[in-house]
Amino acid sequence: MMENSEQKMGKVFLVFAGICIVVLPLIVFSAFSFESDEGETVVVKTGGDDFDQSGEAIFINYDQLSREYLAGTSTGRTLSDYYDRRQYPGSPPYIPHKVEEADLAQVECLACHARGGWSEELKMHTPITPHPEQTACRQCHIEQTDAKLFVDIDWMSVTTPRLGRSDLPGAPPPIPHELQMRGNCIACHVGPGTVAAIRVEHPSRGNCRQCHVAETNAGLFSRNN
Amino acid sequence: MPVFSYLAYPKRGAKEQLLKDLASLDYCETTPAENEEVLILVTDTPGEDQEKALQKKLKKLNSLESLGMTFGHVDP
Amino acid sequence: MSITRRSFIKTLALNSAAAAAATLFPGISFGAWKNVDQSSGAMQWKKTPCRFCGTGCGLLVGVAGERAVAVKGDPNCTVNKGLCCVKGYHSVQILYGKDRVTKALVRKNGKLVETPLNEALDLVASKMQETIKNHGKDSVAMYGSGQWSITDGYVSSKLFKGCIGTNNLEANARLCMASAVTGFLTSFGLDEPMGCYDDMDHADVFITWGNNMAEMHPVLFSRMLANRKTKGHVKIIDFATRTTRTSQAADKSILFRPQTDLAVANAICYEIFRNDWVNWNFVNKHVSFHKGKTNIGYGTEDHFKFQDKAETVDLETYKTFLEDYTPEKVEKISGVSAEDIRYLASLYGDPDKKVTSFWCMGMNQHTRGTWINNLVYNCHLLVGKISTPGNSPFSLTGQPSACGTVREVGTLTHKLPHGVVMKEGARKMAAKIWDVPVENIDPKPTYHTVEMFRALDRGDIRFMWIQVTNPMVTMPNLNRYRNGAEKEGRFVVVSEIYPTPTYDVADVVLPSALWIEREGFFGNSERRTQHNEQIIPMPGDCMSNTWQIIEVARRMGYKKQFPWPEETYIEDSWNEYIQFHDSPKHRMAPYNDLKARSGIQWPFVDGMETKWRYNAKYDPAAEGDDFDFYGKPDRRAWIWLRPYEPAAESPDSEYPFWLNTGRILEHWHTGSMTRRVPILHRAAPESYVEINPDDASRMGITNGMKVKVSSRRGSVVMKASINGRGRPPMGMVFVPFFDESYLINEVTLDAFCPISKQPDYKKCAVKLERV
Repeated sequence: MMENSEQKMGKVFLVFAGICIVVLPLIVFSAFSFESDEGETVVVKTGGDDFDQSGEAIFINYDQLSREYLAGTSTGRTLSDYYDRRQYPGSPPYIPHKVEEADLAQVECLACHARGGWSEELKMHTPITPHPEQTACRQCHIEQTDAKLFVDIDWMSVTTPRLGRSDLPGAPPPIPHELQMRGNCIACHVGPGTVAAIRVEHPSRGNCRQCHVAETNAGLFSRNN
Repeated sequence: MPVFSYLAYPKRGAKEQLLKDLASLDYCETTPAENEEVLILVTDTPGEDQEKALQKKLKKLNSLESLGMTFGHVDP
Repeated sequence: MSITRRSFIKTLALNSAAAAAATLFPGISFGAWKNVDQSSGAMQWKKTPCRFCGTGCGLLVGVAGERAVAVKGDPNCTVNKGLCCVKGYHSVQILYGKDRVTKALVRKNGKLVETPLNEALDLVASKMQETIKNHGKDSVAMYGSGQWSITDGYVSSKLFKGCIGTNNLEANARLCMASAVTGFLTSFGLDEPMGCYDDMDHADVFITWGNNMAEMHPVLFSRMLANRKTKGHVKIIDFATRTTRTSQAADKSILFRPQTDLAVANAICYEIFRNDWVNWNFVNKHVSFHKGKTNIGYGTEDHFKFQDKAETVDLETYKTFLEDYTPEKVEKISGVSAEDIRYLASLYGDPDKKVTSFWCMGMNQHTRGTWINNLVYNCHLLVGKISTPGNSPFSLTGQPSACGTVREVGTLTHKLPHGVVMKEGARKMAAKIWDVPVENIDPKPTYHTVEMFRALDRGDIRFMWIQVTNPMVTMPNLNRYRNGAEKEGRFVVVSEIYPTPTYDVADVVLPSALWIEREGFFGNSERRTQHNEQIIPMPGDCMSNTWQIIEVARRMGYKKQFPWPEETYIEDSWNEYIQFHDSPKHRMAPYNDLKARSGIQWPFVDGMETKWRYNAKYDPAAEGDDFDFYGKPDRRAWIWLRPYEPAAESPDSEYPFWLNTGRILEHWHTGSMTRRVPILHRAAPESYVEINPDDASRMGITNGMKVKVSSRRGSVVMKASINGRGRPPMGMVFVPFFDESYLINEVTLDAFCPISKQPDYKKCAVKLERV
């Protein structure tokens, strides 16, 4: 099955796997060993036009959170789960769990999604919204049934940003997504409820945007002569 | 309970066939890539014996070119 | 290994493989969608107004190559400031349903057959000419839409009224906003709101009058919620006939019996007088009192005619009139407690509270729609809460361009782009700008929408061109009008994007460009015009509606009136159109400004938008130093004495339930676009009938059970929804109309407001039977 030219790649993978096996118990241990109940995401009034002005939220949030929370790692919220719920990068994900409308009382999404934490019912950590100031949650996030499509659709969108986009080995990768409504890095990149693949292991550094800059599609520099 | 994951490379043109073959095996979960000739295979066998039997079956697959292991876990 | 630990390890395994794959194959996708060739960094963002409701959010569409691949809110658009709703976020997916109409179709031997586009256009033109020759100019008609781009409406008006010379031009906004229009015209003399969305940031009290704003204008509702959150003391009152998400979010929910909004509004005015909350300064200077005819009928017969007669009255007559509307008397018919009526009145009466009233279909789709619009204006006029920031009786528009196209261009039987066909001055202006003889323009209006479809049924109309609307789902009392359209000797041309029940009755189907596939303009509820350029190419043989009309007009011999080249025809027709509105009361923004900016309000005077009309502080067209209601000859706002009159068909022993119809958040109108968007369809795959839980348990109906809903006109079998997102009161059921498999309009009644001619989709009598 494995040809000669593949053996080298196989060795690399075995080393990789070996590292995982060593690190695994540590990860499992810390995942099941911390109490999550802190750090309600911060509401910041977005006044500006280009959404680059809500970075304040990160600092406030960062101050509020404990070191344990910042170091929290757990579960498998994977990138494919993440994108499965969306139609293109940045679209509002659908609600993947049942929403009980008990006697038409107002549903309190923020009860779980502002602070995160462990949901006993769903046996997973809750993802945190980066935009808790928008309280009409269900105008954008809707439940799904498993109905067959009415008519098939020919839908395509752009590739999802891939991991590891640094320009140099070890350099901080640029921010590959829009900042509109996603300016609070901590909500999605830190803590137990995040997608494991984009979780950062250095949240204690605090000022994310001193290293990670937004990406644009401007071309290379050239002098206008 | 050995859990392994691999990148599975089909023989040229055999991606669909490999997908079918792997789907028919017990203890296997496959996720094909949309735009490359590669699949992710995650195996989760109840014990050593079943793991060995699965490895034998995988080696026999005609549609499989090679497997690159990306993760391994065996309970001590 | 426990279950959770094992699944954790497996996902770790999957992740490792995915990470390795990503390193080896940059751009690899295991994702939920097929990929275009470019990564997200290569997307271009282009602005457009949203395709859906009358809020008029500004969107940025992400374009990669020739495809629309993503959406975000346009942060530069003051309407929504970067936020959308679930429909807006997935709006670009409406372009890609697999059964998109991209070729012209002609019905041969009962089947629609693909035809070269030129042949189809030739057929449309020749059939129109033949019908005019054999049956006269009033035997052809155009039925357009509040979802028409502005130039679509403009060229229709020029062709039908200026060239052919018939007033058989109507649009579906007749079914949606006509009562709002006649409300404006009778109270103020000019159409469209005097306030703007900024009112939401200033108001202290919001009252929704019979509209489920949380689902129907969600982004505006979010703005209200944000105001309430920041300011703390703000109150939202939901005044409605059933409990909805709006009621859930409101501070107080007050239910009233259908049609009794007329009585409650008068009772509020009675209380304002009784407590002497009247702003006498305002009323004495800026208000006059009038009454019209009463017992005005319901329009259910063919050839129904009604002409109101205005009579000026004095303050004392008005006060005497209001004595029939004490809170105690009104409580008896409306089910609203006298205490709640007094509470509502106190909100209007409190001089320190700025009040914004919102309404939409609950007040417009009403057999006394004009009257209830007048009566809510009365509440604001008595206390002088109008035309200042936060004080705003605000008529919300349903469709994205009912204002911009139908109302401002005037695609209705009696209207011209400026003025009405009955006035010689307006006809002369149109004849001059259109370069047609003034004799072409007929001074007599012909048919409003319901009457137009009746005329098609009777055979007085034999040719109808339908664009951007789905009347074979939306006409009330549908059975009659569908049968009418299918009769022998009727030729129906349908410009469409997807197969629909209207497409099913067409003799010719013209493939049409959808939204951002062509350059266009929409005008929203707050008088804001928004432009989009052509963002992606048109598929197949599709053409914009404007160009289809131009092509047909040229074939009919009107090349001189439609000379514009294909490269610039949108800009050229816009420039011609805005000549009609060249006054400080209505001036439209120039083309280049609209192209550059995310929407501009009219009047646009000396580079400034008029945010609040009739107030000299903000409106250059107003004279004096405070208010000037320049739309009326006496330069005052008119308070109308409008009584309560019952609905056309109320529940009785045989048909004991009210039938109420409307929309839900996820679906737009008849669903021809939104049902083809996977996430929206999966959220709401099927229509249903909402039944009150007590009624349901009394009848032994459980959630999901099949129920037959029948009226004197038709019936539909559908699944019951009990305690879903909406709950009607006892004695009422509610059915959303987005699902063409459940044609609820076969059950509704084609009664309308005699002044506006807008049908009442919210009230008729039905019975329920378990099936």
